[in-house]
Amino acid sequence: MAVSGLARLATSAPAAIYPVVGKDGLAAVEDLSLHPAVSLQPTPRHASVLLVSGEIRRGDHPALRRLHDQLPHPRATLWWRTTPAPGFPQAENVEGDVARAVELVWRQLMTGERRSEDNLLPDEPPAAWRGKGDHGQGGEGMMGGKPYGRPMAMTDEDQRDGLALDAYTACFGPFLSVLPPGLLLELTLQGDVVQSAKVLRAPFAQAVADEPLRRVARLLRPLGLAGAAERFQRTAAAQTGDLKILDRALRWSGALHAIPPGLGEIAGEDIRASLRRWWEQAQGIASPASLGDGRLVDLLPGLEWSEAILVANSFEYDRLLRLCPPDREDDGDQEDCS
Amino acid sequence: MEVKDLAFFVLAASAVWTGWRVFRVDSMVRASFSLMLSFIAVGLIMLLLAAPYIGIATVFMMAVEMMVMALFMVMFMMNPAGLNPMWMVHQHRLAAATGFITFAALTIAVLLSDLPGNPVDPAKPVIHDLGVELLGNSMLIFETAGITLLATMVGTVILSSRSGRYGPADEGSLPPPLTPGGRPAGRVPEDEE
Amino acid sequence: MSAAVPIIVLFYVLGVGAWLAAALDRAALKLMAGRPLAAATMAEPWRQGDLHLVRQRIWTERPDAMNWLLAPALYLILAAVGMSVVPFAPGFVVADLDAGIVLWGACEALTVVVVFLHGWSANAPLPLIGAYRYVAIGLSAMLLSMFVLIAAALPAESLAVSAIVESQASVWNVVRQPPGLLLFLMLGLSLTLRGPFDYADASDLAGGTSAEDSGPARAAWQAARLAMLVSVSAMTSAVFLGGYHGPWLPGPVWMLVKMAGVLAALVGATHMLARLPPARMLTLLWTVLLPLAFLVLALVGAEVLLWK
Repeated sequence: MAVSGLARLATSAPAAIYPVVGKDGLAAVEDLSLHPAVSLQPTPRHASVLLVSGEIRRGDHPALRRLHDQLPHPRATLWWRTTPAPGFPQAENVEGDVARAVELVWRQLMTGERRSEDNLLPDEPPAAWRGKGDHGQGGEGMMGGKPYGRPMAMTDEDQRDGLALDAYTACFGPFLSVLPPGLLLELTLQGDVVQSAKVLRAPFAQAVADEPLRRVARLLRPLGLAGAAERFQRTAAAQTGDLKILDRALRWSGALHAIPPGLGEIAGEDIRASLRRWWEQAQGIASPASLGDGRLVDLLPGLEWSEAILVANSFEYDRLLRLCPPDREDDGDQEDCS
Repeated sequence: MEVKDLAFFVLAASAVWTGWRVFRVDSMVRASFSLMLSFIAVGLIMLLLAAPYIGIATVFMMAVEMMVMALFMVMFMMNPAGLNPMWMVHQHRLAAATGFITFAALTIAVLLSDLPGNPVDPAKPVIHDLGVELLGNSMLIFETAGITLLATMVGTVILSSRSGRYGPADEGSLPPPLTPGGRPAGRVPEDEE
Repeated sequence: MSAAVPIIVLFYVLGVGAWLAAALDRAALKLMAGRPLAAATMAEPWRQGDLHLVRQRIWTERPDAMNWLLAPALYLILAAVGMSVVPFAPGFVVADLDAGIVLWGACEALTVVVVFLHGWSANAPLPLIGAYRYVAIGLSAMLLSMFVLIAAALPAESLAVSAIVESQASVWNVVRQPPGLLLFLMLGLSLTLRGPFDYADASDLAGGTSAEDSGPARAAWQAARLAMLVSVSAMTSAVFLGGYHGPWLPGPVWMLVKMAGVLAALVGATHMLARLPPARMLTLLWTVLLPLAFLVLALVGAEVLLWK
């Protein structure tokens, strides 16, 4: 039985989770990620368990439904620190030891004891073909029309070197792992450069545990330092640890030098300075500073994708909320980014 | 028929077929890389002709060139439009006529010329000889061509870039005056005098 | 000796090397994260790979299915072809080409194409951005490696990898041109999408070109990346670390030891060094590292002229 042998071996791997973080759910998910029996995945395609942690806005339910269907079979959904929302029929609520619950669900999924959850949405293109051409193309010439609801590419003004490239507008969030949870951005990109940004929904408030060490970890992750970030998180969760090792990991990685000077500067403090200040705060050298506010959307245009991600992850949560006033009123029912 | 002959026919057929696919596929990226495959087949034929350096260098150069070409296409038509079907030909009557005439001319040229029939001795250091030729008798030609191409590329980038020496090019960049408050320095076009 | 033996050995080394590289990668991550290391780390790659195999492969809306399927296979083939010119002992090589390092260069160039195709074909924004910016960095790093390889070939006066290894019988190239080794290791990171040169499958893109991969496709892509890492380590050992040359031990053993060392160094760099934003990296590549590569080439040229 080769298949059951495979399944048995797969069961012994850590449970692959995609966390959907809601209000006040971030610190708990970060602490869960330290558990050896689970492994947090950066994208739903790599996960088998969808873990909703904390309360989710009603307006985010359509996005969550789409996200649910992106998990490969076999899959399961667990709601933790909140109750399952209507419209998620096979969801299960978790109380108490979440790591154990995840492990159990994972094992049942892998051995086939638990049925994989069905799609919540019909598996069909969001828009029908509306091309015009008789050769399969969108329009009458080489291109044009609006095939599958998407307009064909058109060049747009550029702000850097005058090279007019295609502008591609899309929504990113609200549960994209590289952005603060809940933040829904509409970005217009030229290549990997952000031309304009709009905040459609603000990030969730995270009342608990926004210690400097956690903030450092959140900034190290997009720099490709997953291991070091985990060590910072672990120290933050245990509230004790050898700060010398952390100091070495931070300095030798060149993280401070990798961040361009002047990036994400508000009121005279750029990301590099923030990172340094957080690290000094964690060591007890510096005290928290209260800094001026601006708008996140003013910081992003002209930045390259990875710089934009660094900027989005470079603020304390209470400050980030002040930086992200939604650009339009959210009525909660509107389907975003279709 | 030897293995080499068979390899030649297979490679030649795949060069033609992938070249034809360039015009039949419905995406720019596929078209670019079909062209790359066609060139790779030609590069491998070079290998059969005992020109290993030129053959492999063709593969190498074409991979880089087609990559840059595909990237520029994506720059101008970012996802998702690139994967929406496109019709990859335009002015096809003119193109087909030109292609046919060129093909006929080249075929006639090949058939009429007296092709040499002396196989290369496998022990001959062909790469060494090529190096000596490139940096010996033919050095002036190749270096002139190389420097000209480089100067063209640098010049194109400078001419097309927005940031000029005296500010953004589309905001009327002018050199500073030689005396305070005077006319901008440098040559004044005749029609503006 | 049958011509099939080197081919079998090549695939064997690629396979075992890929597993070793995956285990080292897990171990380095745990070390950095401060997790306890256990012997079970060696088995983890199997569990992970196996996990992918039991999961469903998902297709996105209107993907370029052919290229999505082909990309991992081509990546793996390029790793094998690139390694085929590396000798493991005198005369023990799959293809002893006169233009061996040019073939390796062609594999580098085609790797950029394959990674681009992998990101392009999923028809999704994050993989496409990964593919897009990888081309900018990957092509620059590859250009640089050409000068580095030519500098390594100069003392041998040949483009054949076996001749380059032979030329290091007395002095290894790493002694002659230490910056060359560093620059080539950087290329290795770029070719295998790792650490500070991981612009394709990066963490700031939630997985980049493999963000939409699931199931067997993901296992195949990861395996191909690891195979390319082994291939890079073989090339580095042959061109800069004297290949099978070394005292006391037999040649092939030296070769394997050196490969393992290079693997460990590359895996370590993956987890220890921060990734620069692409614009900053591109500036560094063109204004600092490329002139450095030129300088190395000129110095080696002068050395060969004066002392040979």
